Amino acid sequence: MPVAPSPSIVDQPTTDETIDPDRPWVVLVWNDPINLMSYVTFVLQKLFGYSLEKATELMLDVHHKGRAAVSNGNREKAELDVFRLHEHGLWATMQQDD
Amino acid sequence: MARWQFRPPVERTKHGFRINIDDREREVVRHLLDEMRSLLLGPSDHPALKRVFPTAYHLEEHAEHDAEYQRFMREELVASRLAGIETVMEALAARPPLTESQVLSLAQALNGVRLVLGTVLDIGEDDHPDDIDPDDPLAAEHQLYGFLSWLLEWTVRSLSSRT
Repeated sequence: MPVAPSPSIVDQPTTDETIDPDRPWVVLVWNDPINLMSYVTFVLQKLFGYSLEKATELMLDVHHKGRAAVSNGNREKAELDVFRLHEHGLWATMQQDD
Repeated sequence: MARWQFRPPVERTKHGFRINIDDREREVVRHLLDEMRSLLLGPSDHPALKRVFPTAYHLEEHAEHDAEYQRFMREELVASRLAGIETVMEALAARPPLTESQVLSLAQALNGVRLVLGTVLDIGEDDHPDDIDPDDPLAAEHQLYGFLSWLLEWTVRSLSSRT
């Protein structure tokens, strides 16, 4: 489950520091108890052109580790990927690479 | 002894895809898609739609981006889901065979209904289809969820298969 930092912490990094346009974004798919493993694997193949092996590996990462990074790029690309995953009902979010 | 041959509810053939479910089962799917359409046309903050419209930016520091995403993309998501439901409704009424793109819409639409039903039933990681409590007032909905899982599983299998 994604855990958001407590909003009561006031001295967080400023927006200027956190939204560095050059730092790539990563798209994460999170584990959820509803989506079928076969469906998740299929969607990852279809949307990103992954092989069955690669898509299965990512799906198993989602299942066992709770999440997996499925794509990355600039903010626009990452947001489009998130949207396409949402269209397919996957629980996807994005964040900037560490 | 000859193995009993199970006829898949959705299959890819040389001439396209076939849906081998009877009229009553088709009626169930239509009914559920109708319900889904009504839900999508209502307020988008309905708790049953929580999983249909997930957060895009999960970090608190990106909350503004998420608000922006929800403002612009939610409408697109609704439109995309409604168009998908129309495609499936037409495909269910049309003469077979179905095209790959129609079956793809079927997978997305069935998955959408499962997300709603799974949310309403509060499906958890350890829930198993065999564990349905007959005294649960939502026992029938649990069975419906199982039916959708079965149908979606075979839909995905048909899309992944080659003839």
